[in-house]
Order: sequence, then C-alpha cells, then structure tokens
Amino acid sequence: MNRIFTCIICPVGCEIEVTTRNPFGYPDKRPDEEPVILEINGANCERGKAYVENELKNPQRIVTSSVRVSGGNMPIVSVRLSAPVPRDRMMDVIEELRHISIEAPAKIGQVVVKNILGSGSDVIVTKQVQKASPH
Amino acid sequence: MTQIYDCIVIGGGVIGSAVARELSRYELTIAVLEKELDVCTETSGRNSAVLHAGFNNKPGSLMAKLCVEGNTGFDRTAHELDIPFKRTGKLVVGFDNEDLAGITFLKDQGDQNGCPGLELVDRDRIKSLAPNIEGNFALYSPMTGILNTFLYTIALAENAHQNGAAYFFDHEVTDIFRSGRNLSGRSEPEPEYEIQTNHGRFRTRWVINCAGLYSDKIARMLGNQDYTIYPCRGEYFILDRKLGPYLTMPAYPVPNAKAGGLGIHLTPTVDGTILIGPSAEYIDEKDDYASTQEVSNLLIKDGARIFPRLQANSIIRSYTGIRPKLTGKNSGGYADFVIEERDIFPGAINLIGIESPGLTSSIPIARLVINMIGQKENLREKPDFDPHRHSLLCFRDQSRDVQRSLIQADPDYGEIICRCETVTRAEILAAIHNPLGVATLAGIKVRTRAMMGRCQGGYCQTRITELLMQEKNLKPQEVLYARKSSNMFFGRVREI
Amino acid sequence: MKEIKSQIPSMNPMGSTMQTLPETILHDVIIIGGGPAGLAAAIELKRLGVSDILILEREKEPGGILRQCIHDGFGLFRFKESLSGPEYAARFIEQSKAQEIECLTNTSVLEITPQKEVITASGNGLTTYRAKAVILAMGCRERTREAILIPGSRVAGVYTAGVAQSYMNLKNIMIGRTAVILGSGDIGLIMARRLTLEGAQVKAVFEIQPHANGLPRNIEQCLNDFHIPLFLSHTITNIKGHNRLEGVTVSQVDGNLRPVSGTEKDYACDTLIISVGLIPENELSEMAGTAIDPRTHGSIVDEFYQTSVKGIFAAGNVLQVHDLVDFVSLEAERLAASVSLYLEKTSLPEAGISIESDLNIAFTVPQHITGRSDCILSLRVREPVKKCKIILLQGDTVIREARLPKAIPAEMIQIPVCAADLVSLEKIKVVLEHE
Repeated sequence: MNRIFTCIICPVGCEIEVTTRNPFGYPDKRPDEEPVILEINGANCERGKAYVENELKNPQRIVTSSVRVSGGNMPIVSVRLSAPVPRDRMMDVIEELRHISIEAPAKIGQVVVKNILGSGSDVIVTKQVQKASPH
Repeated sequence: MTQIYDCIVIGGGVIGSAVARELSRYELTIAVLEKELDVCTETSGRNSAVLHAGFNNKPGSLMAKLCVEGNTGFDRTAHELDIPFKRTGKLVVGFDNEDLAGITFLKDQGDQNGCPGLELVDRDRIKSLAPNIEGNFALYSPMTGILNTFLYTIALAENAHQNGAAYFFDHEVTDIFRSGRNLSGRSEPEPEYEIQTNHGRFRTRWVINCAGLYSDKIARMLGNQDYTIYPCRGEYFILDRKLGPYLTMPAYPVPNAKAGGLGIHLTPTVDGTILIGPSAEYIDEKDDYASTQEVSNLLIKDGARIFPRLQANSIIRSYTGIRPKLTGKNSGGYADFVIEERDIFPGAINLIGIESPGLTSSIPIARLVINMIGQKENLREKPDFDPHRHSLLCFRDQSRDVQRSLIQADPDYGEIICRCETVTRAEILAAIHNPLGVATLAGIKVRTRAMMGRCQGGYCQTRITELLMQEKNLKPQEVLYARKSSNMFFGRVREI
Repeated sequence: MKEIKSQIPSMNPMGSTMQTLPETILHDVIIIGGGPAGLAAAIELKRLGVSDILILEREKEPGGILRQCIHDGFGLFRFKESLSGPEYAARFIEQSKAQEIECLTNTSVLEITPQKEVITASGNGLTTYRAKAVILAMGCRERTREAILIPGSRVAGVYTAGVAQSYMNLKNIMIGRTAVILGSGDIGLIMARRLTLEGAQVKAVFEIQPHANGLPRNIEQCLNDFHIPLFLSHTITNIKGHNRLEGVTVSQVDGNLRPVSGTEKDYACDTLIISVGLIPENELSEMAGTAIDPRTHGSIVDEFYQTSVKGIFAAGNVLQVHDLVDFVSLEAERLAASVSLYLEKTSLPEAGISIESDLNIAFTVPQHITGRSDCILSLRVREPVKKCKIILLQGDTVIREARLPKAIPAEMIQIPVCAADLVSLEKIKVVLEHE
C-alpha cells in the first residue's frame, strides 16, 4: 500500500511517499500488525525518513488541554505534555486530566502530573495563574 | 392561582405595547402576555424601521388615516420615549413613463390622505437631495422618517411597565374561555374572559388581541373565524456603516402594482448602516425566518440599479421578517387593518393583519382601542402617569467631554466591550438589568447595538455572555440566544 | 514622557479655580496592541536604544490571540521548541517587564488621527496621546457567516472558530456536542481536535476550494488522527433548526465555486464552526488615513513597514495574516529597526519602486520599496503548486529567483531582496513559473 506523508520536521515539508507490504491503518483497526516498509521516497534528509517511520510504527503526539483551577483569576488553565506520548494514548491522557484541579497561584512550567499514565511525560502548566482578586 | 386584571393584552410587540402604554394612562390593571422572551422578537423587530408618510395607502382606509396621524405626531413620541428618530424624507424614484404614472398616482393618493409636502421632483433635485441615488424623477416625501424599531418597541413596553403594566414573558395563550365556558358555546350576559396560558390562568374584562402573526389563531379562540393570516416573508440585508454617509434618506423604486410588497428598498438606519430589502415571498410556516440564496442575489442586483455603490462585500448581515397579511398569494395587494369588537363577544378587541404601516400607526391604533373601551366604560386618568421614559445612555454618541465625566462617575464606562460599536461595560450591565427582566443575548444586543457591527460579536460575544451569566446567575446551559431552546452552550469544559 | 497641560480659568460657584483641560501626553512611540507583534517591536526598540515606548492593550493582560491558542507548535523556529501560544507570549511579556516597557492594559483606542494623536478609554478616563511614531499591531478578526452569506435560519450554535476557541479555552464553556466545520483554515482544524478531545463528535470538515487551506501538520494531527473526513470542493448551502442548530445541508461546488444542484446532503449536528478566513482588524488603520491594499486588507507599506501616513507603521496580522507567529516576531523586529531609524532621522527615504505580482500570487508585502536597502518580501501563492520558481523581474532582467519544491497558500513564502540585486528604479514584477 502507498501512503503520502507531509513531513513536519522542518519548513520544507517534503512529501514523502511510503510503500508498505501489509495493509496498515490506525492502531485501533489492526493493533497487532506493524506495517513493513518497502520503500520511502521524497525525503530530503534522514530526519524525514525517521519521522515517517515513526508515524507508521509508533506515532507520537503532544497533547494540549486544560485543567480546572480553584481560587484563581481564571476558571481553567492550559496545560501540555512535556514530551510526546503514543497517539493511541491521547484520549486516556485527556480522561486523566478531567479529574484534575490545581490551586492558584501557578507558574508556567509547573508540573501538574508527573509521568502521566507511566508515559514518561509530565503535564505542565502553560499560563501563569494568579490568585483571584477579592471582589 | 388565577391572576385577575382589568385588561389583558395578548402580544407584547409594538402594537401590544403601544396599547399597554395607552391603557396605563388610566386607572386600570393591565397585563401583557407575550409568548416569546422579549418584546421585539417577531415582526416588531424585523421590519424596515420606517415611519411612513401614508401615500402608499388607499384613501379612506384605516391604514391611511392612522398612518398620517402616527407620522405627524411622532416627534413628540420620540421625545417622550427618548428614542432616536430622524425625519429624513424619502424618494420614490422612477426612470420611464410607466414609472411616472405610478409616482403621480402615489402623489394623488398621498394628497387625498392628507400627507403634507409631497412633491414631484426632477433629476437635478434628486441629485441635490440624495447625490448617490439614480433616477430620472421622483416623488419626494419630506415627512417620512427612520427610527430604531427595537428601541421603539422596547421603549413603549418599558414606559407601559413603568406606569404599572405587568409584562409576562414566555406566556403563550393556549385557550380562552368565557365565564367558565368555552367560546364556541353561546354567549353569557356578563362577558368575562378566562385566558389559559402555558404558565397559568388569567381572568379579565377586556382581551385585546395584538398577537400579530398569530392574531387569527387568538381571534378564533375568541369565536371570530373570519380571518386568516397569510405569512409573507421579506429578506433584508444590512450594509456596512462605511456606506452610510452615501444614503441620506430612504430611496425606493416605484412599486410594481402586481407584486404585494413595495419593491427593493434602500433604507438608511438611525445607526448609520443601510438596509436593503425586503423581498416578498409567501411561505407556509409562520416562524420560517430562514434566508435564501435566490433572494440574496436578487436584492444585490436590484439594489445596485438605484444605488450603484452597492456590492456584495458591503453586506455584514441579513435578516428576515414575516408580514402578517390578510390577503393570500393569489389575491396579492393589501387589505386594511382589522380593529374590531363584535357585539356577540363584547370586551374582546381583535387587531388582525397589522402589517405595514403598522409601526407608524401604532399609537393612533392604540388610541382607537382606548376609544373603543371608553365607549363602554368610564376611564379615569391616572394623575401620576408619566409619558417620559429614559433610554440607556449611548456612550458612543456623547461628546468627549461627556464621555470623560461618565467614566469619572462610573469607571465601567471606560471599559469598551464591543469594539465595533463602542459599547461600554456600563451599558452592557444596564441592558442586562433592563426593567422588563429580559435575559437573552439578543435582548442585550438590541438594547445596546453590541454584536451588531463589522465583526458580529467575534470579539465581544464571549465577554457579554460571561457578564450575563454572572449578573443573572445563569449556568452556561441556561444561556439563551433569543427564544426558548435557543441554548448557546452545553455546560462546562471542566466541571468542578 | 512629556505632558502638555492647557489651563483656562473658569468661574465656578465655589470660587475661581483653574479648570484643567485634558492634557496630551507625548511619547516617542505608541504601539497599539500588546500581542506578539506589539511586544516584539517594543522589546527590539528598547534594545536599539528607544526607551519612550507605550503599549496600549485592550485586554486585561498582554499576549493577544496567543492567550487562547493553547495548542503547541509555536516557537519551532525562534526557540527550537514546540510551545503553546501562552508560553510563547510569556517569553516576550517577561522580557518586556524586565525591560520596564510601559504597557497599559484594559485600555481601548477610540480614535487615531493621521497626525498620530491617539485617544484611549479606560477605567481611569479618556486620555489623549501624541506620538512621533505609531505602530499598528491590532491583529485580525474572523470572517463571519454573514459575510459569506450562508442562507438558512438564524439559530444558536453557529460559531466562528476563534469564538469557539475563546469559549472553550478561556471561559471554560462547552459549545456543542456534534459539530460540522466549514473551512479548512488552521483555526477550524485546531478546533476540530479540541472539540474531539473534549468529547464532542466532529462529523466532517468542508472546504469550498479544491485544496486545503490549513497547514499540512494540522490536517494530519487534527483530522487524520481522529478520522475526521475532509471534503474538498464542498460548501454549506443551508442551515437548519428552530432555535438551536439541528443540521446543515452540504453541496459540492463546481470550478467556479458554485453549488452544484442535485449534490445536496444533510448532516445532523448541533454546532457549526465557521473557519473561512481572517481579515486584518483595519478599522483604526483606516481611521488613521493609511491606504489599504484590497488584496491583504491591511495597510500598504514599504520595506520599513511604514504606511502611506508618515510615522505610522504596521506589522503582524494587522498588516498581513500570518501563519507562523515566529515570522510575526521577526517582522515586528524589522519594523522596530525602521522606527528607530525614523526617530533618529525624522523621516525615511521615499519608496518609489512598486512591486506587482502576477495572477498566481495573491499579494506581496511590502508593496513598494526604496531599492536602497535589503529587505524581505513576503508573499503567498493563490493555489498549491509543486516544483516552481518565484522570479523577480525588473523589465526583462531577472533580479532574484527562488526555487521551491512546493508552494501552498497556507504557507507564507519569504524571499530576501537585496539592494544590490536591483538594476534600475523600475517597478518589480513577481511571477510564478512552473518547472
């Protein structure tokens, strides 16, 4: 099967065509089957090849979302993962975040959850939160 | 528990609220039952906002008489109610001989109706009156004016309320009984009406049916089967304020006698934008306010004929209104206002088919209703009736000096929430806390002009809904755009 | 900072006191907008030795649109990190605070004149300023449903993507459960992902053009990751519902982008997200008298980012809609260098060389240059092309050429143009050639 990826590693955005032997799809369709790569064309550099290989075998994503804040000048604060996690764990991460609330104040980079779901990635605050001003 | 009032007005639109205001001059207890959540949701908030001179109406008709009366007296009304109003004048333009005949006809009709100052003018005069309008000759009507239909209706309602009328929103009349019996039975000697709504019962001596599009339905509940309302939809476009300076007064082409509407109008608004429309299309449903692709194209094409500056990209919004017509698709044309009380159903006054010039005629219509009541009862004037109602102060319209003092007195005037229309936090808060208790987003919009500008709320909508929730203690899922079940939100992203 | 106080005597009932007329506060530079462009310009100006700077920001804190862009992907060039919007903004905000650059928040500009007078409103009152140089950095607004005339009912549940983003990310409000998105612009794609992550069902994205409008990265990570289909050459032709949205009708379009009758399909949904483009927030730019380019909807500028009004400059989304905030920062820094020069010399050279582009190129910024200094030309192609050349010509002479393996409208192209490249004072033509 052929598939075209647009590499996102650098601004060139090479269109890389990949030919594989087994039908591959998203992990939720055939989780046990890893595609066998026959050919990669169109990558200008090794990083592009590595990106595409990764996308096929173990796509990773940075998840960004929000968590509840108590006692702050905003009701929720944006957070992100410090490192990418496997794509098929994205929704699990989001589900974990639903139950989390932090206390104001909070600084950018502050760790909300260390090593979330054993992924090796932390959840960090991405916006400064101040204590709510008395009304 | 049944609530008892001397008079109940069904429908809180411009007619119902004008009636309520007139009634509130007298020692009467008054309730207005409005099925929607604000007073200008239907026809009263969806029209050209023109104060007509009366030359479009048949001599001898009630429409002609009441329109001229309403027009000539409006300066005082606008002053009392503290609403914007401009007597701009109007041009009905034509290009050929057939048009000339049409314009001459209108002038004669207007003269017969007593419209002051009508003139046939030539091309040069058109250019001096409205330099950006094309036409070979025109009827010039100096008495025609423009107003803000939302603010007028709201002002009538607030003044009525101020003088004791009770407004019940979300109260839809489902049935009307007489002395405990349904009206399809025989009459009783002492008429007294029991009105059933979706939120309780009311009893009254006088039922005044101002239900607009649904006035035929209410009339049937009152035993009057003679009338049917045929909904006729009109679409409008609102043009960017940038074009505003190019149109100083309404300009219409000569109406086509066969079509039911008045032709493609170009109407400046008191807020500086321009309306183009309405179209005319009979439809099946009374609440089908959808706009259509065909009309979009038609309005732009026809409008550009008399206003060459018009382009599709000048359009910032469109809306539709539905005329409550008494004549159907096949007959076309106009029928006169129906304002009647029948002997068999004393105490019930039906106002049916109040389409254009209903807005202009609103106060004379209301006075007519009072006279009808006055024939049967001794109406005592209230000594403390106050015809003056104060509107929300409009920050944008004030001089810099006044703006400075406003901010000094209240820093909320210094926070601009709607950037396109320069509406301040103070005005938004005042609109949220309006005397009638209306708590919809559209209610705030029409009272302040917030969200009506270039970006259509792109910047201010989130701030306004936040203030609305805060001030009225609403959960996100309770915030409504305009009508019931027009819920804007589904709750929170993150709950506690 | 200098103050001019005008005083006239007035008689008041309490006895005679001097009544103070509002003072005009002078500054060297006033920056309208404390978003990425405004902040970067301010910090660079300070670095170049200009200290009398005032930033006017209407929100309660600076950062601009980045405050609501909680997704990552910002700063890949500048910081070699993938930051969220607020983090990117914070780097500049912290630096501007460290530099003690004055920034007035909760302050809106009511009026600006070609004489560089600025009147603001805030809780403290109205203030009149005059500056030697004004930098327009107000960003952009979204195109609306009304502007593109989708027929149908006016119901609750129709939101532009930015408004939806603001509700979800700043106000903690969930706007819908089943959604359909019109427009494959980046914000719409980002919102497709955000909605899906928060439990909503995004049924499809419809794009009227035959090509996607957003960055390939976003198509991949916002749509493909979640199996959300993208239908090109489709548009919404009707919106249905009584009070809240109930569904939309979608049609295919032909080569002229007109709906093809007979291709209508209905999608039930309670939310419609509209992501059909951004327009520079040019109200103040027009009020100030600057000439606007109908292609960008932003002010016409030269290589100094100076508009047609002397001393008024523009950068960032208010000048041209950007796709990478890193480029916004760079643009603002180049503008700062120009403003610093302008303050020193009180005027900048005339830019007599106009830049024209052929039909394949949507626009170029700047629109005219002096030819005496090196500059960066920003442009976008109208349609996706593979293997092409962007050629700059004066007459028949090629003065600069750039080879590109591919070019898409979603990605701004920047080409350096050196003074040494020019062979005359003739206008420059920018053309696209397929290889």
